[in-house]
Amino acid sequence: MTSPKRNSPSIEALYVHIPFCKGICPYCDFPKVYYDPNWADAYLARLEEEAATRCVGPFSTLYVGGGTPSALSPKQLERLLSFLAPFLKEGGEFSMEANPESLDEEKIALLARYGVNRVSLGVQSCQEKGIKTLGRNHDREMVQKAIDSLRRHGIANINLDLMYGFPDQSEDDLLRDIADFLSFGVPHLSCYSLILEQGTVYATRGVQPLDEDTQQRYFDIVLETLEKAGYARYEISNFAKPGFQCLHNRAYWKDLRYIGLGLGAASYEGNVRRNNTKSLSRYLDGRFLGEEETLDEAGELEDYFLTNLRLVEGFTLKEFEDRFGFSFLERYGDKAHRLEKRGLLSTGNGRVVCTKLGLDLLDMVLLELF
Amino acid sequence: MSFDPAHIRNFSIIAHIDHGKSTLADRILELTGTVSKRDMKEQLLDSMDLERERGITIKLNAVTVTYKAKDGQTYIYNLIDTPGHVDFTYEVSRSLAACEGALLVVDATQGVQAQTLANVYLAIDNDLMVVPVINKVDLPSAQPDFVKDEIESRVGIDCSSACLVSAKTGLGVEDVLERIVTEIPAPSGKAEDPLRALIFDSYYDPYRGVIVLIRVKDGAVKVGDTIHLMQANKDYLVTEVGIRTPDELKVASLQAGEVGYLAAQIKDIRDVRPGETITLAERPALTPLPGYRKINPMVYCGLYPVDSKEYGALKDALAKLSLNDASLLWEPETSQALGFGFRCGFLGLLHMDVVQERLEREYHLNLILTAPSVVYHVKLTSGEMIEIDNPSKLPDPSHIAAIEEPFVKADIMSPKEYVGPIMELCQQKRGVYQDLVYFDDTRVILTYDLPLSEIIFDFFDKLKSFTKGYASLDYELKDYRASELCKLDILLNGQQIDALSSIVHRPSAYKRGLAIVSRLKKIIPRQQFEVPVQAAIGGKVIARADIKSMRKDVLAKCYGGDISRKKKLLEKQKEGKKRMKAIGSVEVPQEAFMAVLSIDEEE
Repeated sequence: MTSPKRNSPSIEALYVHIPFCKGICPYCDFPKVYYDPNWADAYLARLEEEAATRCVGPFSTLYVGGGTPSALSPKQLERLLSFLAPFLKEGGEFSMEANPESLDEEKIALLARYGVNRVSLGVQSCQEKGIKTLGRNHDREMVQKAIDSLRRHGIANINLDLMYGFPDQSEDDLLRDIADFLSFGVPHLSCYSLILEQGTVYATRGVQPLDEDTQQRYFDIVLETLEKAGYARYEISNFAKPGFQCLHNRAYWKDLRYIGLGLGAASYEGNVRRNNTKSLSRYLDGRFLGEEETLDEAGELEDYFLTNLRLVEGFTLKEFEDRFGFSFLERYGDKAHRLEKRGLLSTGNGRVVCTKLGLDLLDMVLLELF
Repeated sequence: MSFDPAHIRNFSIIAHIDHGKSTLADRILELTGTVSKRDMKEQLLDSMDLERERGITIKLNAVTVTYKAKDGQTYIYNLIDTPGHVDFTYEVSRSLAACEGALLVVDATQGVQAQTLANVYLAIDNDLMVVPVINKVDLPSAQPDFVKDEIESRVGIDCSSACLVSAKTGLGVEDVLERIVTEIPAPSGKAEDPLRALIFDSYYDPYRGVIVLIRVKDGAVKVGDTIHLMQANKDYLVTEVGIRTPDELKVASLQAGEVGYLAAQIKDIRDVRPGETITLAERPALTPLPGYRKINPMVYCGLYPVDSKEYGALKDALAKLSLNDASLLWEPETSQALGFGFRCGFLGLLHMDVVQERLEREYHLNLILTAPSVVYHVKLTSGEMIEIDNPSKLPDPSHIAAIEEPFVKADIMSPKEYVGPIMELCQQKRGVYQDLVYFDDTRVILTYDLPLSEIIFDFFDKLKSFTKGYASLDYELKDYRASELCKLDILLNGQQIDALSSIVHRPSAYKRGLAIVSRLKKIIPRQQFEVPVQAAIGGKVIARADIKSMRKDVLAKCYGGDISRKKKLLEKQKEGKKRMKAIGSVEVPQEAFMAVLSIDEEE
């Protein structure tokens, strides 16, 4: 028997990583370095070189992440944006991450001029305690100012990152933070618990996260409050007003294909996953590739579940069959049935989705399917 | 081969673990040119990987070497290795019985240990000439004079001319070789008497059957002889005799005084237990050699495959291991919780550990061991007595008149400042004080009668921590005594788990139950639903702890499209899950079944 052909989606998403930051956040595990103007110039040149060799475009979504892309000087920012803008399809989504304190009027004007139409602000907390614990350098006023200015320049599609469950956060702290975040009235919120990753400042200091039960209680508070305020949860940690889901991130979660440029950036083309080098000196030396992995069918299936089931909408049986050439229920019916009986999964209406409990316990669901 | 017995020397090396026995043996092989330096693997005599890793000898071995002495004569040396652990005392005594002398190796930095002393006494009981060898004299902390005094006062042998060596560097080892000639007697015994050969070890060979290692005491044996095993009462035709140098070398015959091997298409290693006497069927000896004992396992546990599909593979592996290990007993057993497996009997905990490791390492089996149990004698109200080696098989209390448990005589040697804590520990472990003698100015030997079940529980670990590792322990089975015992059951999710039952001393049952449930709470990961863990005696719950339900089990953050690390985490979890046993709806890790053993009641 020949195995049915797997269909790889076309590449519609481009990610660009800017690793520079003005300060290092104690919880961050993305590739980053302190901002240095000379390095940033050299980096941008290499980035253009990598783009020239690796992608054609145009793409439906562009996403500039970091690090802190807004840490670049206005001149550098303009160089980057003018280079990237032509890669975007007409009407596409062009997102950039920024920190409220490094986003001034001049930079915002640049974003608008080059077609950036979605900005994700790394706020994390507006409470003094949270700002201090998380090592951030803004206050509530700065956030408000940045949002106002973005709106004035026509960029209303704004996301704010909210972090909960950091050391010593009380329930009151959390409630005040949520109230603040809601008061800004932006259409998208990403809410994630503090994770202590290896190699972060926190991990080195031996910081203890809040216990599992408290984290989950805090998340349930976040969920309930945001849904009441008209934000729908569409992914494990993401909430949006209708029509404002992040299309670029959705490409990851729908297990579509994408190209990532820059330090440590991840790409997924055909059945090959690629990670760029995480060493800045190697990258500046023009040695972009870190590691590559070719997935077999089992690997692709695992990735498919791992990503799609993060979405509240899950995936449809048809999508699955179009992609893999066989029926989900044929191969996974027994397992899915067991998960349904445990209240973790639902397969009704031609759709496979996690229940609320299933989303909380996604690892348990995945281990059953793997 | 016929060699004048006057030029044969048969000897063993007695030493505490780590005092350098194997290293000295290696040097002897090297200096006699038996093994060239190039071919030397560290510690050649310990041929199993496991032995080499743990630095202990488990199976006995023997090697024949030739030595040209300073008197110009060539001598045959038969070096018979002995296992160095309390589980194998009987085997040690049989290999000593094959010798006329022993090298007593004592670490110059550590002095005599209880274990060594026990083996020296065994050697003296077997009329062996003991030659003291003080090892590691090259170390800065060596105190050879102190150690000499100690040997003289405790063992009672003259140390004025003790060999001072460093087995590691080879210093003084030639002197040891000379002293073997001059001090250890040549074997006596008459080649013309009826054959009496002592079996001191055996191993299985798929082509030739069981190979037995023998010391010929009287008479001679050659290919074509029909031999008679005096204890097993069986006859075999000898197909091969030879010596090990350490490679096998076939010889025409083995005569009184010689050590070698013999093959006779013997199928079952249980026919040729250590201590057995071989004679000739045609001209049998009147009496067997003294000292034979059939030894019985002291410790039992259940062995189960994590994956029930591996039952057959486990059975095959046990069958293969027992080809070489007459003391390993096993029979099929069924557990409600664990499915099909085996009840296995071992000489002691080390023996159990070794078997487990070999099954996992050499046969790649993924195993669950239940906590070890001793053999209880249960007197029923009907007057009948039954032996129980599996706690879950203990009859209903209403049918039990009394339960007896095995007691051992335990000798604990320790620096004198720890006497207080040791006595306290022995008291806690239901020990009955017997004796306290001063070994020397600084050390004592405490003798207690202790329940064996307490020794296998956590006695040794406690002893080590109470004495900062200075105490050593030696024990032997003494008798069975009635004790106030009861069965402690464990329930997971309201379901009794037979594999977690244990037999405990009733007055401490409550404490033990509490310790076990809190330990299990720590070991068993959170599940989707809350799982109560209960300890019960006769249906009455005495302790409870709840494993809370898992609330959150998902990585909040998944941006930038890099999911490789996330996948690695999941793969690790998947591996971990493979090592768990699903009991009902609860995933239980392997180590939970040993939890009964590894708990600390003070927790």
